Amino acid sequence: MSMAGSADPRVSARRPTLWASIVEHWSTGMACAVLVALIAFGAATIDGFWSLLNLRSNLVFASFLGIATIGQTLCALIGGLDLSIPFVLGAANVGLVKLMNEGVPSGLGIVIVLVLGGLIGAFNGALSQRLREQSLVVTLGVGNAVLGLVQILVSSSGVSGISGGTIEGKIPKWIEGFSSFNHAIGIAPAVILWVALIVLTILLLRRTWLGRSLYALGGNPTAAERVKVSSRWTWTLVFGASGVTAALTGILLLGYTGSGYAGVGDPYLFTTIAAVLIGGTSLVGGRGGYGLSVLGVLILTVLQTILSGYSLSQAAQEAILGALIIPTVALYARSPHPRMLI
Amino acid sequence: MPEISTAPGPEHSAARFLIRQRSLATPAVLFAILLVISAFHGPHLFTSDGLAGAVIGAAPLVLATLAITIIAVAGPAGVDLSVGPAMTFINIGIVLGLPVLGLSSPLAVFAFAILLGVLLQAAMGTLIAVLRVSTVVVTLAVYLVLDGLNTVILPQPGGTAPDWLANWGSSSSILSPILYVPLAAFVLWTLIACTTFFRNVRLMGANDRTAFVSGVKLIPIRIGAHVICGVFVGIASVMYTGLIGSADPTAGAPYTLSAVTALVIGGASLAGGRARGLGSVLGAIDIWLISYVLSTFNFGLNASYWVQFATGAVLVVALVTGGVLSGLSGTGRWRGAGVTPS
Repeated sequence: MSMAGSADPRVSARRPTLWASIVEHWSTGMACAVLVALIAFGAATIDGFWSLLNLRSNLVFASFLGIATIGQTLCALIGGLDLSIPFVLGAANVGLVKLMNEGVPSGLGIVIVLVLGGLIGAFNGALSQRLREQSLVVTLGVGNAVLGLVQILVSSSGVSGISGGTIEGKIPKWIEGFSSFNHAIGIAPAVILWVALIVLTILLLRRTWLGRSLYALGGNPTAAERVKVSSRWTWTLVFGASGVTAALTGILLLGYTGSGYAGVGDPYLFTTIAAVLIGGTSLVGGRGGYGLSVLGVLILTVLQTILSGYSLSQAAQEAILGALIIPTVALYARSPHPRMLI
Repeated sequence: MPEISTAPGPEHSAARFLIRQRSLATPAVLFAILLVISAFHGPHLFTSDGLAGAVIGAAPLVLATLAITIIAVAGPAGVDLSVGPAMTFINIGIVLGLPVLGLSSPLAVFAFAILLGVLLQAAMGTLIAVLRVSTVVVTLAVYLVLDGLNTVILPQPGGTAPDWLANWGSSSSILSPILYVPLAAFVLWTLIACTTFFRNVRLMGANDRTAFVSGVKLIPIRIGAHVICGVFVGIASVMYTGLIGSADPTAGAPYTLSAVTALVIGGASLAGGRARGLGSVLGAIDIWLISYVLSTFNFGLNASYWVQFATGAVLVVALVTGGVLSGLSGTGRWRGAGVTPS
């Protein structure tokens, strides 16, 4: 194991040797290769893999996961982890139905839900940063408190309440159409929204001061503070953004399923983390990017299609997904030996 | 980290003693509050039946929390997410696997459960220590694998535990194995906490670089910590099987969230190096008492939402008060010692 094997861009960026640049693009290359191999495998062995319907529906699923993963990626870049995503997602999902049932116009309802999601996320970030960056437990606690509270509030009033976590309501046609792969324009608007958000996120990360400060903070917090990156504000903003993207995914899923369900976010707890890890963004912070997570999202989506094509149950898919994570991370996201840190 | 030193010095006064015990303040105060509420609102707890129900109800969580405590000590970011599905996996093994071998004696059940727990944890510990992939990633992957496998092996709840074990769930006296087993486990924990091995685990968790240059062999120590964890996971699984009296593929997974919550309420620092068995036990009892107290109110269908909300809220409050009490709520001051990757 050479020094370069620990893949530290802070070292390699200074002297871009051939080996360093291979290491630097190692994860991107691996992720692309895996994606291409999976697509080839699926196309060769599963009938209808290339059918237009399959592609269009897969893209919709990918866009749900992709939008929720924006927040998880940003959090991972500064060395955090947002476990509140499924809870905020579920709370937004049932909360919006309740608001619309109470007569709030759908547009205003969406704005309210997004703002609340952002505030919850910001609270997560501020508290995690204050508590020595223990985001895992903070977000777990806040997430459970929020989803529990929203379900209590939603259920407490009368006829239009929640039962068994499900809440019925009249979902406006435009919200349903937004996530429908049979939309008149030929592709679900949700997919277009995802593409726009991909461009925005990558530009934000690469071209803005804020974006670069995420990498600085994740790579070396002490050095980042020396160049006036405020750890507190960055954590608050990043987790706030994660809250917004989680709430947005909840709204899109509402359009897709047509009724509110508090547990709708459950799969997103681990799939967002898996997408980040498989793409090659390290959970330790400072390394990776949203482009990689998009690859991770596509890999997961194609993998799920293939596994469903082989009629494996949801549980078996979960087990295979889990078994893939360790070798993936071991390939390109290992921590350095303490000997290297002395 | 101030608590590394256990050598009695001249500063060993009463005040010093109280400061040293401050990590127990949050769980102890919470325990007292919950007991007072129970006394007024659910006095059934203080009958012989109620106490026995409390002991067998809380025992699996107490042991699960004790199990992951040593992983938290071994740090950094030592959160074992796999404990819930691991308990379920062993539970299925006890109920469905052992009868195939014609074994059902207490000795066989305990030996089988502990062996399985140790094997699982030793495998995870080896991956974490040798591959240097973070604890959260490995235990998350194992969570997914086991959670999926459990449902694949046993799609529906079923089977019956050996008679002697199934009777534990309906025990009406606490002067029976339901109390003796957890007590024996706690004594075992206390003995382990006195060993040099345990001090090495603490040193590694607080600062692995210091441990490394002090000649602590990091790989065997980390694997050893996981083996200890496995022993307690095994005992927890036996108690869990006694509680439900059968095998259930999904009911055990939530133990992960409860145990992590109990761990943090008990004063453990997830940065590593600081966690106490007594705190974890108190934290786990608190979690059980919260759901007991809430069950005495007439929340009807909303009861589960209230439990979710209260658990999350208590976790956040415990984090805030814990951070204030230990005076470590500054900005990333300890990051160099604790949150660095390993």
